[in-house]
Amino acid sequence: MGVQAFAISLALLACVTAGIGISFATAKAVEAVARQPEAASKIQTVMLLGAALAEATAIYGFVIALLMVLLK
Amino acid sequence: MEELGERIKEVMTSNRIDIHLFGYTIPISDAVITMWIIMGVLIILSIVFTRKLQTIPEGKQNVVETIVEFINKLTENSIGHHWKLFAPYIGTVLLFLVFSNTISIFNIIPSGEQLYKLTHIEALKKIPDFNLLPPTKNASVAMGFAVMSMIAVIISGIRVNKVKGWLKSFLKPVPILLPFKILDYFIRPLSLCFRQYGNVLGAVIIMELIYSSLPAFLPGALSIYFDIFDGVLQAYVFVFLTSLYIAEGIE
Repeated sequence: MGVQAFAISLALLACVTAGIGISFATAKAVEAVARQPEAASKIQTVMLLGAALAEATAIYGFVIALLMVLLK
Repeated sequence: MEELGERIKEVMTSNRIDIHLFGYTIPISDAVITMWIIMGVLIILSIVFTRKLQTIPEGKQNVVETIVEFINKLTENSIGHHWKLFAPYIGTVLLFLVFSNTISIFNIIPSGEQLYKLTHIEALKKIPDFNLLPPTKNASVAMGFAVMSMIAVIISGIRVNKVKGWLKSFLKPVPILLPFKILDYFIRPLSLCFRQYGNVLGAVIIMELIYSSLPAFLPGALSIYFDIFDGVLQAYVFVFLTSLYIAEGIE
């Protein structure tokens, strides 16, 4: 289990990148809405799309880790 | 600890229920049965809510009109000119996914065994278990939805641009990109499927951990985020990405 547990924790490092990516996207979106409140709805959809795409990496890491746990 | 691991494994694997019909045994997974329940609820709701429609809306008609207008605006904003073709499909998938992702809020109702563990009253053990798990935590259900939206992209491309225009769109910016354009049709459904499946399964597992470690008060507050907010957001993102792909396909 030792090596496998290490590999699983490495796969879950992908979650860190998703956190950083989403925080960047949200920070920029907040800035943009503060500058131009009338464009809020358009910024929101773009931000949601960006967050969803950034989140995909975390989900891939999670699914791979799950497969490692299940298929031991 | 062992018990918890067993429970999580039970959540991740799909159970099969055998139905005996005319001498044949038909194995049906629990996700299908949950989807039948959701389908029934949606059909009944849509029949009840659209009876006696009037020009001046009042009461329950207002609710339906708000939902339909939201879906129309969503498709119009992302697809543009041809939105009327796709609004029904997008709306159906959105409603179904919202219901199926949030169905696990019924797990808040404690099962009879949990109540018995807390109170040691024998009579409580007989209460039936409302353990409905979202069908999208099954990877094959999520893959089905992803393949459906990819087929919608192909059909919309052929319908709007005709066969010739659709085939030409593979060579659109530069012909060198052809292998990547073909790869797109395999990677997109995979990413749609994993996004839905991973998010829902993650939320279900986290909620299961919370239920087993602290069965009172805390699950109620956290399930607002993990069951309702996350489920609705993922359904919206799925539908939004589908409409974006369609918009790209009919360019």
